[in-house]
Amino acid sequence: MPPCSIVMIGASTGGLKVLEELFPRLPVLNAAVVIVQHLTPLIDQAFVTSLARVSRMPVMLAREGQTLQPGNVFLAPGGLHLHLVGNRSFHLTDGEKVNSVRPSIDVAMKSLVSCAGQRVAGVILTGMGSDGAAGISHIKQLGGVTIAQDQKTSVIYGMPKAAAETGMIDFILGTEKIADKLVTLFG
Amino acid sequence: MTETVRFRGPDAQSPQVMVVDDEECIRETMLKLLDSFGIGALTVAGADDCLRLLREGFRGVILMDVMMPGKDGWETIREMEKEGLMQGNIISMLTAMDVPDERLEGLKETVLDYILKPFEPSELIVSVRRYLKLLDRVQSGA
Repeated sequence: MPPCSIVMIGASTGGLKVLEELFPRLPVLNAAVVIVQHLTPLIDQAFVTSLARVSRMPVMLAREGQTLQPGNVFLAPGGLHLHLVGNRSFHLTDGEKVNSVRPSIDVAMKSLVSCAGQRVAGVILTGMGSDGAAGISHIKQLGGVTIAQDQKTSVIYGMPKAAAETGMIDFILGTEKIADKLVTLFG
Repeated sequence: MTETVRFRGPDAQSPQVMVVDDEECIRETMLKLLDSFGIGALTVAGADDCLRLLREGFRGVILMDVMMPGKDGWETIREMEKEGLMQGNIISMLTAMDVPDERLEGLKETVLDYILKPFEPSELIVSVRRYLKLLDRVQSGA
């Protein structure tokens, strides 16, 4: 049996606003949703609580060794890199920062592997810099669907722009349309 | 030089928001706006007073101007990190630059949000309320 489908979302500055607008628009998806938000361990649990208030899906901090379950939302803990092991479970590490951050979106997205029968989508939301551009390209190369937030709805159009400039993005969408697309793909 | 600390709000003992900005008109506008929505706030004109209040125990939402004489917003945050003053605070940067300062690159995990000046009052209030909810969860360990 293949592992469950995965939606991996990367966000940075302004991410809370955008995620709080995105999640109320999502039903329980037939996919595990993994969020890598640039944040510190000081606020990660509060971030989970904030998202849980607006999400129909349970939201939790990803734990070492935890298995991904469809219809659940997992947030990468602050201060740790999140890796997927065989697209099935989490491995958390405290290695060097990548792109000046830990957790890094690139690290998490590049840990995805090709898996027959499994559907994967990557989404790059608001944020400065270019973390996620290499990761979303990796998802495209695996055959996944790739989405970047548009400039109009981004708080900072840095990461989505860098992602779009890779030429590996299938859809550049505003927050509402991102929700619609995820519902179409995994609803 | 000690700068003026201005406070306005429903509960003089517990301002929830600190506005750090060298422009007096911004400080006054913010103070009136936040007060009109029942959000207790104080304002300071620069890094020295901001850091002093944090050392004295202020915990809350910090709306930090980027460009200030003396220590700018980024340097102030670096100082907060160095002195262990980050815990229990939510930081959002205020800036007139529509292209973010490259120094944010190294503070992406620390700075939650970015507010462009001039700001739309209603959007500012929505943002501050979002920060306050998050802050409440941070402080309650939820």
